[in-house]
Amino acid sequence: MALLKLEEVTKRFGGLVAVNAVSLEIDAGEFVGIVGPNGSGKTTLFNVISGVFFPEEGRVFFEDKDVTRLPPFKRAPLGIGRTFQIPRPFASASVRENVAVGAMFGVLGPEVNVNESLKIADQIIERVGLQEHRDKQAGTLTPVEKKLMEIARALAMKPKLLLMDEAMAGMHPSDIDGMVAFIKNLARDEGIAVVAMVEHIMRAVVGMAEKVIVLDQGSKIVDAPTKQALEDPKVIEVYLGHPPEE
Amino acid sequence: MFFELLAGNLIQGVFLGAVYGMATMGLSLIFGVLKVVNVGHGAFIMVGAFITLALFDGLGISPILAIPAAFGVGLALGLFFYYTVIQRLIKAPELATLLATFSIGILLEEVIKLVFGSEFRGYNWVVGKIDLGITVVPMSKLYAGVGSVVIAVLLYLWFNRTRAGSAMRSVVEDSEGARVCGVNVGAAYAWSFALGIGLTVASGVLLTMFIPVGINPYMGGGYTLKAFVIAVLGGLASPYGAFFGGLVFGLIENGSYTLFALLPGVEPFALTRFLSFMILLVILLIRPTGLLRGK
Amino acid sequence: MKKDTGKYLPLIPVFAVYLVLFLMGKNMSGMWQLMAMLLFYCALGQAFNIFLGMTGYVDFGYVAFMGVGTYGMALSIVHLAHYEVLGAWVIVIGFIMAILFSTILSLAVGAVALRLRGAYFAIATIGVNEGFRFLIEGARIWNGSEGLIFMGELNQILGREAASVLATFWADVMVLVIAALAAAVTLVYMRSKIGYALTALREDEDAAKVMGINVTKFKIVAFVTSASFAGLVGASTWALKTPYVFPPEVFEIHYTIEAIIIVLLGGAGTLLGPVAGGLIYGLSKYYLSIFLPGFQLLIFAPIIICIIVLFPEGVVGMLKKRLRDTALGRYIV
Repeated sequence: MALLKLEEVTKRFGGLVAVNAVSLEIDAGEFVGIVGPNGSGKTTLFNVISGVFFPEEGRVFFEDKDVTRLPPFKRAPLGIGRTFQIPRPFASASVRENVAVGAMFGVLGPEVNVNESLKIADQIIERVGLQEHRDKQAGTLTPVEKKLMEIARALAMKPKLLLMDEAMAGMHPSDIDGMVAFIKNLARDEGIAVVAMVEHIMRAVVGMAEKVIVLDQGSKIVDAPTKQALEDPKVIEVYLGHPPEE
Repeated sequence: MFFELLAGNLIQGVFLGAVYGMATMGLSLIFGVLKVVNVGHGAFIMVGAFITLALFDGLGISPILAIPAAFGVGLALGLFFYYTVIQRLIKAPELATLLATFSIGILLEEVIKLVFGSEFRGYNWVVGKIDLGITVVPMSKLYAGVGSVVIAVLLYLWFNRTRAGSAMRSVVEDSEGARVCGVNVGAAYAWSFALGIGLTVASGVLLTMFIPVGINPYMGGGYTLKAFVIAVLGGLASPYGAFFGGLVFGLIENGSYTLFALLPGVEPFALTRFLSFMILLVILLIRPTGLLRGK
Repeated sequence: MKKDTGKYLPLIPVFAVYLVLFLMGKNMSGMWQLMAMLLFYCALGQAFNIFLGMTGYVDFGYVAFMGVGTYGMALSIVHLAHYEVLGAWVIVIGFIMAILFSTILSLAVGAVALRLRGAYFAIATIGVNEGFRFLIEGARIWNGSEGLIFMGELNQILGREAASVLATFWADVMVLVIAALAAAVTLVYMRSKIGYALTALREDEDAAKVMGINVTKFKIVAFVTSASFAGLVGASTWALKTPYVFPPEVFEIHYTIEAIIIVLLGGAGTLLGPVAGGLIYGLSKYYLSIFLPGFQLLIFAPIIICIIVLFPEGVVGMLKKRLRDTALGRYIV
């Protein structure tokens, strides 16, 4: 049974087809990289999976349950967590409160009270190494700290599937390796399937993903184990066929 | 007999609707470009009404000439409030601009009250009437309706035929893209706000030509509500949508008044105001992007 | 256990202020009216803050809830006065009706308007008070534009003497109770999942949704709570103190403006903010009306603009930031 299954999903904005008949499957605990140039429909695809947009056609299944038209706040408790391309902290709240929100309304939501959520938050904050910043207002963190906080907030939801939108964008190259190793360990320890979306085929992705899905202009053009995907001529065309100034 | 009355009222509704439309274009322009809802909209209409009054009563200047005067005052007010207040709040939460424009409205009301007092006033501009067969329309209303259409057309031409206009339009469509293409987005914001306020203040003149009595510092509140209904009818972000929304609203208002007047035991004027509020809620509920938009 | 009592420490300064106001009014001659006015503004701010402050949504039609609350009390008195068995219970029923009316109206408005985001919500609410007023006047509901006058009924229920004590003393005490209750509810919300959800949606509604928060539900909770406190304030200050209701008066947007000023001045979303805002606003209004009658709004409008531009966090918001991590900080939220 696939954890997440998309069947011929199409999302249009006016005349523009942002996601074009995409089908894919993600298994539990799997680490998948979704790669595609800017405007290839990656973020839209994430938004369809997390419920921000409903697709015009096709269906989305999570653990065999049809979630195509389920609002986002009902998907989170099922175990779909996500981070954003540009971090979106609840700026006036402390780091601890931000992370506790994840515990309170995620998969654990119905079982935990506020105090228990704060305890879970403390553990996860330690895990991502933000304990020094625990009581700071989230809006005052540096961009990298904000990314870590978002990851912590998503982890506090105890997700089965974690969607990471450009988790490494804007990070210093020396931090990226650490981040990749961290996410990979985390995913393995917690048994979380991670779908990481990146604009470019980075060494980082190659290092961690078991499978790579390549999107181009809204369509899926490749879906294969990492090594095989990278050698696919279509991928090379998408990336090298574009003039460099794009 | 009834149908004649209804037809007559609907014809007047078209003229009134054109004025309403013109009085809402500024609101939609500002929302379209800056994503700022000018909750103090009605107060700027009120300023236009007082400019008309002051020029007519004080200097004997015709309301028609008050239109450019009010437009100029509006541009100046718009630039002033943009640079002192709005510019600092563009990136702040919506709450901030809503409350700021609201407060600007109160400020204008209180300043006008200080100068002119708070009693209701009116002016008496005698320009005759015209018989349209079914109904007799005062010339002043005709001027107001035609004037509104002329201003709307001028605005359309300015947007589509001039460089500054198309720069502003590009900001509406895609402010990042416009920035990349060398449009000075900051200036486009400032001038859009000023233009929006200019149009709104000028519309105050046209409204008094239509309804020359009932000028009072607090007259704007009712027009703010009407303008929101109209703007929402037209899709909120489009000045032309607003213009057509105004026409529709003028017809609804006059038509429903005529019908409500037939009901026993009600106050038709109050019910008309209630109806306009219900229309607002219903449209927002079923189609927040506006009824007059295609797709 | 120790931790749990600590959670409610911030109520101490709030209740202390209310107690001081009460004692000053009761024991210093000629002060009761001023203190009652200050309590009214604190209560108004405390009630509105639950919605405006905690969600970041602006309800321009807020006064409508005070208006229908007033009608709830007025209608109870008018219609139940001749049931002698009820006695003073009519007043209790009146308060229940006030809550009922404001809850129903807020559910109706909220069900439509709270589906809308930020600016669209504000637009939808801007006509609620006027719309309701024109419905009452236009359809001649509840005696239409003639309003309800019930001095006679009130005297009949309580006797002339007691009715007068009710108007000049107990109605104000009730306002104090409402203010204290609203503060307590605010803190209970802040310390529960509701508060976390409201903070999240105020800061970033889309992110909140993706985090599993049913934003519409929590907005409605805040809206209805805030509205029912407004209904109670209307019932006690307007219906009991001045035994008549006229639609143009109880749906006057002026009171929404005052509520907004108080919440912003004190610090939106803070517990102590409405108290600070209510005191500052009430005192300045009182003295301005003595020294510069008629110019209050002319002075307040630029002040609000300045607060929004320069001090968006309000008095208590700034204080809270300063005192974060200090011993005093625990008392100020």
